Amino acid sequence: MRPLALVLASALVAAACGGGEDTAGNAPAGPPQRGGELTVLEDAAFGGGWPTGLDPATNSTGGANLSQMGAIYGGLFNLKANDDGSNAKAVPNQAEGYKMLDGGKTVKITIRDGIRFTDGTPMDAKAVAFNFRRAVGSPCTCAPIWPLEKNGITTEGERTVVLNFTRPFAPVINAFPVTNVNWIVSPTALRKMGEKKFKITPVGAGPFTVVTNKLSSELVLKRNPNYFKKGRPYLDRLTIKSIGGDQPAYQALLAGQADAYLGMNTEPLIEQARSGNQLTVATQPPTSPYVIQLNTKAKPFDNQRAREAIYYATDFDAIAKGLFKDRYPVSQGFTGPGGLFHHEKVPGYREHNPQRARQIVNQLGGLTVNLGTLENYVAIQVMTALQTQWQKAGIKVNIKKYELSTLVQEFNNGNWQAMLQTAGAWDPAAGVGVAFRFSNDSPFSGVNDQKLDGLLNGATATLDNAERDRLYQQASKHISDQAYAPFGLAFAPTNLAVDGVHGPGLTTKIPPIVVNSAVIWDEVWRTR
Amino acid sequence: MTTTAPPDPRESRVLSRVLGSPSVRLIGKRVLMAVPIILGVSILTFWVLSLIPGNAAQQVLGPDATAAQVRALEQELGLDQPAVTRYLDWLGGAVQGDLGNSLISGQPVSGELGSRLAVTGELVGLAFVISIGLAVPVALLAAYKPNRLVDRISMVVSITGLSVANYVLALLLVLVFAVQMTVFPAIGFVPLSEGVGANLHSLALPAAAIAFPLFCFYTRFLRGDLVDQMQGEDYIVTARAKGIGPWRVLLRHAFRNSSFGLITVVGLNLGTLIGSTVIIEQIFALPGIGQLLLQAINTRDFIVVQACVVVFAIIAVLANLVADLLYAVLDPRIRYGSR
Repeated sequence: MRPLALVLASALVAAACGGGEDTAGNAPAGPPQRGGELTVLEDAAFGGGWPTGLDPATNSTGGANLSQMGAIYGGLFNLKANDDGSNAKAVPNQAEGYKMLDGGKTVKITIRDGIRFTDGTPMDAKAVAFNFRRAVGSPCTCAPIWPLEKNGITTEGERTVVLNFTRPFAPVINAFPVTNVNWIVSPTALRKMGEKKFKITPVGAGPFTVVTNKLSSELVLKRNPNYFKKGRPYLDRLTIKSIGGDQPAYQALLAGQADAYLGMNTEPLIEQARSGNQLTVATQPPTSPYVIQLNTKAKPFDNQRAREAIYYATDFDAIAKGLFKDRYPVSQGFTGPGGLFHHEKVPGYREHNPQRARQIVNQLGGLTVNLGTLENYVAIQVMTALQTQWQKAGIKVNIKKYELSTLVQEFNNGNWQAMLQTAGAWDPAAGVGVAFRFSNDSPFSGVNDQKLDGLLNGATATLDNAERDRLYQQASKHISDQAYAPFGLAFAPTNLAVDGVHGPGLTTKIPPIVVNSAVIWDEVWRTR
Repeated sequence: MTTTAPPDPRESRVLSRVLGSPSVRLIGKRVLMAVPIILGVSILTFWVLSLIPGNAAQQVLGPDATAAQVRALEQELGLDQPAVTRYLDWLGGAVQGDLGNSLISGQPVSGELGSRLAVTGELVGLAFVISIGLAVPVALLAAYKPNRLVDRISMVVSITGLSVANYVLALLLVLVFAVQMTVFPAIGFVPLSEGVGANLHSLALPAAAIAFPLFCFYTRFLRGDLVDQMQGEDYIVTARAKGIGPWRVLLRHAFRNSSFGLITVVGLNLGTLIGSTVIIEQIFALPGIGQLLLQAINTRDFIVVQACVVVFAIIAVLANLVADLLYAVLDPRIRYGSR
């Protein structure tokens, strides 16, 4: 018993140590090396779940499965950044380039010459257009929200696909890396296999091909020898495994049974990983801040005074400091520091003032709020802290955590009052962008405000970045003035990798377009 | 035109003897009893699932889907039908061996279950062997000299084991044996086809995490029963009076009697044993039925959930049948067939 007790005790003492810094972005020793295998873990509740398969047109969780999709399909465009996450840009990958014409109403995308799918058929304009048409009608949250004209997807020659929009659509390219139009399947393989089989063993032109695929359990991939980039990918084999949470994943990394874990959320484990010096810790630049959505279409938040009470009762700075050691910045608008058009302050933003909050609550004759959030470590921690803060201001708070399906039902029912969610994206108009939470026509919005809709639509309709910035600033100020939703800390997940593994998005930083960062798998390598 | 030979009277006699044997009658009776049990489990599962909020169509279409899109897919999947109709449809297929297709992936459930059954079956079997294989000798040692060192150590270990949830134990086992000592893998499954050694190595920690609490429970139960037998039963006094040594009395007489209670408890605990796989397979990333079940519940894939629960029910029923047969093996006086 005694040796066991000693081992346990020493392990627990080691586990209790804290401190340490992010180790991402350190330059790898020497040039990339060819060969080797990598086992990557993802949480079964998010990226590690792909229950509907890996066909971009039918995978309803494609936005969470960026790793699987990127490894199999590569992508027309990739989001790349400096090692520290700065200067992020959507750059052509399988696409050779693009042109925005007619003030943004027409987009011409040229495909690189000579790319072939792993079944040997060419990845040409016809194949890409076929995929675009499938993706547009897809059920995935990652389907593009293009304002397409009728028959708005056409081809020009063998390598150019043309998109015609009804209005200028500025975020079209920035949205590519997180939408399913980025992942091009082989039309021939799809036709031969049928959708049912194809979603299990899909065929793309990416860096890896599927060896076995056990849905939401294990995806084994091998190197595509005919990949269009010479000498890439560096790895021979890539295995993506689903695991039941942060703790077992962390222990599996320490035990040497896996090489990387994507999307760690549990702060104490991140702290431990930083202090342990055994793993590379890459906390991604935050792009999507938490927001307390208030349903202005129903009581009690149809009253602006009630909404103001929530603003004054909320102290996100204290939450960021107390729970997360100030590691995540607090935002006053809908983008985090890693995102485009971010501004630290919004003029006139209502800061924490509990006396003022209590005064308003008294004037209202009391305030009872049902606050909910998605079941997730960080969200639940923040929600519990908010409950305490609001109760101090005299607000009665009932908290509830939801699974995705029940959360969706709550929004659809329209009876919800306050929801702690994330808002925004790397480009506020891409993916689950700001309109998703604030536009009148979104089922996940608690706001019906034509002025705000006008500002957000205006920002997507101009190619002038300065003008977009100005409109987004106005939208932020409008949300703040109307007390529609207090914004909070901008959290971003952390990727962990064992020593000797290197790669963009894995051991360096790339801003998450929505929730997680897209790893550039053809550039990942390991020291041998 | 075909002719049939008259039945051989010797064959008929053998057949009637086999059919009339208590064991065969017991098996037949239990199999017949299993039918309403499994039917009841399937109805109950279906009913409970119909009460859970959220549906598969919403999961497939994602949160952006409009109400009309969800309704259309519900129609396509048959989710708009009354629960009774859906249940009868499912049952009609199930009795013909067709467990339907997953609502989420569209893949046949039977195929998915088949590949995962081996993992879960092996995990459960190994956990069972470990728990019983350790509990019996430890309980015998503890009961041989009650309240002495071995008994007290076993009590401390058992109480500790009974107080720790198996998912906490699982993480501790990984910390000690995979992270610190690196003797066992933290995650993953190696199939039997890749070698028995590697296969058992990969299942060691998950099986131990499930087996340890059961081992503790069985040890305490068996030890208590053995001590009762040894201290208070006339047949033990008689055996001792005949000059039989204490170990022989314990093993041949007391243990044989105590086995009945142990078998009953093991049968009753099968649910715990099987249920443990759901969380343990998640922690150790094992591609078994427990993992599939949890994923299916989260995605409201009722067809898969239903199939998993029915498979678990069948395993539990079969295991209890084995327990009943063991009673007959251990005590020839029991003549189930004649009752």
